[in-house]
Amino acid sequence: MGSLAEFCPFCNTADFRTHVDASCRYSEEFTNIYYDCMDKKRRNLMRLYLDKATLVWNGNAVSGQAALGDFFESLPSSEFSIQTLDCQPVHEQATQGQTTLLVVTAGQVKFDGQKQRYFNQNFLLTAQASPTSDQPVWKIASDCFRFQDWSS
Amino acid sequence: MNSGSPQDGSSHRRFNPYRWPNRRGDGQFDRDRRGAGGYRGEGGGGREGGGGGKDKSSWYKMIIPYGRKYDKKWLLTALQNLCSVPFTPVQVKESNALKPIQVHVCLSIKPGRQVARSNPRVIVLMNPCPPPAILNTQLKPEDIEHLKQCMAKRFDGSQRALDLNNIRTDPDLVSQNIRAILSRKTFMDAVVKIIEENIPELVCLNLSNNKLYKLEDVADLISKAPHLKILNLSHNELKSEKELDRLKGLKLVELWLDRNPLCDQFKDQLTYISAIRERFPRLLKLDGHDLPPPIVFEVVSPTTTPPCKGSYFGSEEIKVLIMHFLQQYYSVYDSGNRQPLLDAYHDGASFSLSLPSSQNPNRCSLREYHKDSRNIKRLKDPSTRFRLLKHTRLNVVALLNELPKTQHDSASFNVDVNTYTTTLLSFTVSGMFKEVDGKSQDAVRAFSRVFIAVPAGISGLCIVNDELFVRIATTEEIQHAFAATAPTPSSSPVPTLTAPQQEMLSAFSLKSGMNLEWSQK
Repeated sequence: MGSLAEFCPFCNTADFRTHVDASCRYSEEFTNIYYDCMDKKRRNLMRLYLDKATLVWNGNAVSGQAALGDFFESLPSSEFSIQTLDCQPVHEQATQGQTTLLVVTAGQVKFDGQKQRYFNQNFLLTAQASPTSDQPVWKIASDCFRFQDWSS
Repeated sequence: MNSGSPQDGSSHRRFNPYRWPNRRGDGQFDRDRRGAGGYRGEGGGGREGGGGGKDKSSWYKMIIPYGRKYDKKWLLTALQNLCSVPFTPVQVKESNALKPIQVHVCLSIKPGRQVARSNPRVIVLMNPCPPPAILNTQLKPEDIEHLKQCMAKRFDGSQRALDLNNIRTDPDLVSQNIRAILSRKTFMDAVVKIIEENIPELVCLNLSNNKLYKLEDVADLISKAPHLKILNLSHNELKSEKELDRLKGLKLVELWLDRNPLCDQFKDQLTYISAIRERFPRLLKLDGHDLPPPIVFEVVSPTTTPPCKGSYFGSEEIKVLIMHFLQQYYSVYDSGNRQPLLDAYHDGASFSLSLPSSQNPNRCSLREYHKDSRNIKRLKDPSTRFRLLKHTRLNVVALLNELPKTQHDSASFNVDVNTYTTTLLSFTVSGMFKEVDGKSQDAVRAFSRVFIAVPAGISGLCIVNDELFVRIATTEEIQHAFAATAPTPSSSPVPTLTAPQQEMLSAFSLKSGMNLEWSQK
């Protein structure tokens, strides 16, 4: 990860406006990929996570790619419908300069065997330099998911 | 047709008439390797029909002179057994000249020399020929109608079962001169189409005793009769279990295969069962026998999600830290004046608010939040997107001050800790609050809020990112909310941190590039 400090996927300057614009684009693209993968290519989903990523899924904590892979296999097949999406660039003080996005989603999901339910989810995405393109590769550092009716 | 002379080596694809020597015939047929003796008057070698690898299927006409004197069924079986590759008799005609039986066959081999022994002797003349006209015969509409009526009679609605056993002998069809030979593509296709159009809910199908040697056309049922679970293919001409590969998409629970040549290929029952189960892992009954429960390695698709749990803090220290923070934060937030929250936010903090989408019927009563709601799925204009993200603590708190006044139910709070490092603590709070004045007084809302904070001093957090999602509470949530009398902000004591906890917290705060210390007012 040597040159990550110099790597800013948003722009060359520290212009906040540009950060915001770029973060919107990246988060839209990311959520499309993520939920498509979740619904249709579940086996590949864990590759979107950093190796040390943590997931808190309705209060169940899952950590590390291997455990994440097992966890996603254990979930029934899904049909997600994202209705709300918001995002913010995370302040660099919190991330020690590692470019990070906060992505917040809400919508409905139907897991096989259950009725459709509303959910809230948020991610911290960190940018990794890609060896093959000048666009960054975003990986999930943390993921928090809850049904809105989790306690019923 | 003609018989070539034994010395005629130039006509490649012709068989000379070959005789099957009358040995101690026991009715069994052997296959000799080519070139072997036992031929009389045969020229040497090469019946290799001109160069290998012909196209997939070539048409040959087999003529058996004086064929009438043989039992047709015996003859066809004998011919099949003789041939090293299965062939399909397409049409068997009796003709008067020499009283031969003509058998049009479709062969996928290059002709080779075969020798067989048999009792009695049979002469077979084989020549290539163009595809016979019969292939082009489609079923007439009235034939299809008769077929449909016949199938309707054979359909048991209560079991969703269709019995097509030996259908070519069905009197209704025979009387109409319809020879429903299911081994022919035109008939099988017609049957499948009738099933598709009339009884796609079919569960049980009996195709026994129909001389089926291939399942290629039956395979269409995978998509057209997706509920098919019981299939009877017994007493047919299936030569290899590989033919069943074509039916792999069917979720069969019961299968009948006995009295097919393929059954003799297996050295024991277990191998047979496992070969069939390979194609149909859900199979519970084979040839009428219950099978032992399968050893299933494939993971059956789950239909339950893990049980939902409450707050996840990760550690007791973090729990204390966060609860401490939330108590202080919301006591100001609910106090009627949110200005003091300036101390809670970093200079470069960001805040945005989102609501359920406009498709959600509950959204309409959140009017006070609409103008500040930032949903980039709906909002495409970059300027608006930028404007709605509040940046710097002054702008953040200015917006917070405009939002409706609230009373939060701290007993309803649920906290999930996303991440914590030496420089970052991120957690999601969800719970309920009530609006205490304005147009929606006493309306109960539910919220989900993500806080990202950096350490501040030794006892606090400093918010750098804050995202709030607000929705209407459900009836059930309203019933459970505000159940306990919430302590009023002014009377609630601040939990003091024990010495070890304080130590932990100072380890947590590496650099406090903050000029603020967030503490209770």
